[in-house]
Amino acid sequence: MPAAAERRPSRLQRVFGDTPTAWLWVTPAVVIILGLSLVPMAWALLLSFQKSDFVTPSTWIGLDNYSRLADDPTFAAAVRHTLIYTAAFVPLSIGGGLAIALALNRRIRFVGFYRTLVVVPYIMSATAQAVLFSFMFDSQFGVANALLDQVGIARQGFLQDPGQALWVIVLIGLWSGMGFCVIIYLAALQDIPRELVEAASIDGARRRGILLHVVLPALRPVTVFLFVWQTFQSLQLFDLVFVTTRGGPLQSTTVVVLYVWQQAFEFFNAGYGAAAAYVLAFGLLVVALVWGIYQRRREARVA
Amino acid sequence: MTRLIPALVAALLLVSGCGGSGDDATEPKPGEPVEITMWHGQDDIAGRVLGELADDFNATHKDIKVKATTGGVVADQMRQKITTALASGDYPDIAYIFGSDLANLARSDKVLDLTDAVNAPDFGWDDYFAPARDATMVDGRVRALPALVDDLAVVYNKKLFAEMGVDEPAEGWTWDDFEATSKALTDSGKGTFGTAWPAVGDEDTVWRVWPLVWQGGGEVITDDGKVGFGGAPGEAAFGVVNQLAQDGSVYVDTKPDSDQTYQLFNNDKIGMVVTGPWQLPDFIDAKKDFGVAPLPTFGGEPLTISAPDTWTIFDNGDARSKAAIEFVHWLNSPEQDAKWVTKAGSLPIRKGTTSKPEWAAYQKDVPGLSVFLDALDGARVKPANPAYPKVSEAVGQSLVAVLLKRSDPSDALAQAVQTSEAVLAGGG
Repeated sequence: MPAAAERRPSRLQRVFGDTPTAWLWVTPAVVIILGLSLVPMAWALLLSFQKSDFVTPSTWIGLDNYSRLADDPTFAAAVRHTLIYTAAFVPLSIGGGLAIALALNRRIRFVGFYRTLVVVPYIMSATAQAVLFSFMFDSQFGVANALLDQVGIARQGFLQDPGQALWVIVLIGLWSGMGFCVIIYLAALQDIPRELVEAASIDGARRRGILLHVVLPALRPVTVFLFVWQTFQSLQLFDLVFVTTRGGPLQSTTVVVLYVWQQAFEFFNAGYGAAAAYVLAFGLLVVALVWGIYQRRREARVA
Repeated sequence: MTRLIPALVAALLLVSGCGGSGDDATEPKPGEPVEITMWHGQDDIAGRVLGELADDFNATHKDIKVKATTGGVVADQMRQKITTALASGDYPDIAYIFGSDLANLARSDKVLDLTDAVNAPDFGWDDYFAPARDATMVDGRVRALPALVDDLAVVYNKKLFAEMGVDEPAEGWTWDDFEATSKALTDSGKGTFGTAWPAVGDEDTVWRVWPLVWQGGGEVITDDGKVGFGGAPGEAAFGVVNQLAQDGSVYVDTKPDSDQTYQLFNNDKIGMVVTGPWQLPDFIDAKKDFGVAPLPTFGGEPLTISAPDTWTIFDNGDARSKAAIEFVHWLNSPEQDAKWVTKAGSLPIRKGTTSKPEWAAYQKDVPGLSVFLDALDGARVKPANPAYPKVSEAVGQSLVAVLLKRSDPSDALAQAVQTSEAVLAGGG
């Protein structure tokens, strides 16, 4: 092949462009990307137009799955729970992460130790966290209620209470989700040129002013990235719910991905599950597009 | 030029990687052993025992080679794994499938119909316990072979009973007795509960209520495909659950897998658990002084539920099918069954197993096992209906509503019946 490429460059180049050997380099990556992401995505899209259980031959039903989804109260509830989780988790994790990062971005004793502490939850597997917290928030024997008892507050149902379970899951999610924001913000804070801050303080800016007018603007691109990233994470929430409540109690914590899983693998409604997955994918696409537009505008502004 | 070499190597690896999955010959060459794959989904001891049994089989059967693996998942996730495997067309010969999933999987023509095989005179189908046989039947055909048999009884913590001054369960006790005992064992000051009920709303929540429905004269799904638990039988069953919830004598475990329930039992915080023989080794490890009583009744004949799991065999060509049936048949023969059940902590699949010395020794080591075994005669299994998972979901949500005192039991039952009727009519 390489020898041929040298002997008859013109024909190969006509087919493969100026540097035909480049194709050899990228082929493995292309095949892997096509095979592992695009092909399954296309397959799932086809699946979403079918009545399929993976077991018997499927039938083509067009958009029926989607119109059924529109009338499905359980799916509507799953979407609502996902959106509530996202609306709470994204700003809280970013805001909390920023506050902690600012607090840790100074010369204090044992700062390395504190930083490690904040980051550890992020490294822990979601499953391990979920197990840990479901014991802590047990309504009868958990540490959380024991602490509430100590300070004289009534015992709470927590994960056993349909009105509270989703918020407890937000709290568990924050415990580790915030760690990620802290890492990113700490890195970004290191990148802010020292001269900028010094110049501002020489010009008479106070700490508040420096924060508002120098530091925060410099962090904006990172904040947008975190916003998008955390939104993706929370729209795709699954493992935390699967381990702590499996959607209960009384379907108060059913989120979209869990719903997809239940339809496809518990009720043998693979086509219907695929349609639900595509509704989620569409939501993710919208977020990605908004981000893309923002990035392009920003680059245009910089240029 | 040298820069090209890594790319070529990568491309080559890729090609050979793709080829790897394509060389599964469906028909073996003559003279070579038939290779079959089993996905057993068992970890720890149970998985090791199956591996050893497969080795024994391979050593004594030169014409068949069994590859026993977990299949990469635990049994709980096998349904998920096997449905995707079936969709991809690359599936094992034998898989460990829960009885409640069989009706759905058996709609696939890749799941072998074993009716003729088990009716062969030397197969010994009559020697299998009735619930084990029943759990493999779908629409009157045998679509799998039994893999594991269990049933439900009440395991109670003798220490807590003594501490609270409560009489231990007696022969022929009723659900009224159960409620009263549970209440007497409950002390919010000490943090003790009479009993526990899994409240995720999944099959774990639901199958514990079917014996009550059956005892009350109801059915899960009737023979003509209608909801069978409405009216008096359902009212009675939901009434017991409601009474426990209202008394606050039931620990409502909303966490998946019931780990905490058993931990609390081991810590003398829960007096009675409705559970199966698989849990006994755990209680023994924790050095619990426990007793086992049959499920209470509403005054009629004792009746419990059995939920056997199956070895489901998939069609990969006649030679492999035949080999797979031969292997599972061998695995289920009393000699092997005795090794398997004493390690898996389950009940014998075959009546013949109970006369094996391993079983006798095991029964001596595990107190209370005989109660489970006695209850197995006459235990019933869930109906093999493809709509069952959705019926179970509806009943599960209603039971959780009652357990959490969020719903009146009659309303909850009516809701479950209504949803199930819609599902069974094909509207789900």
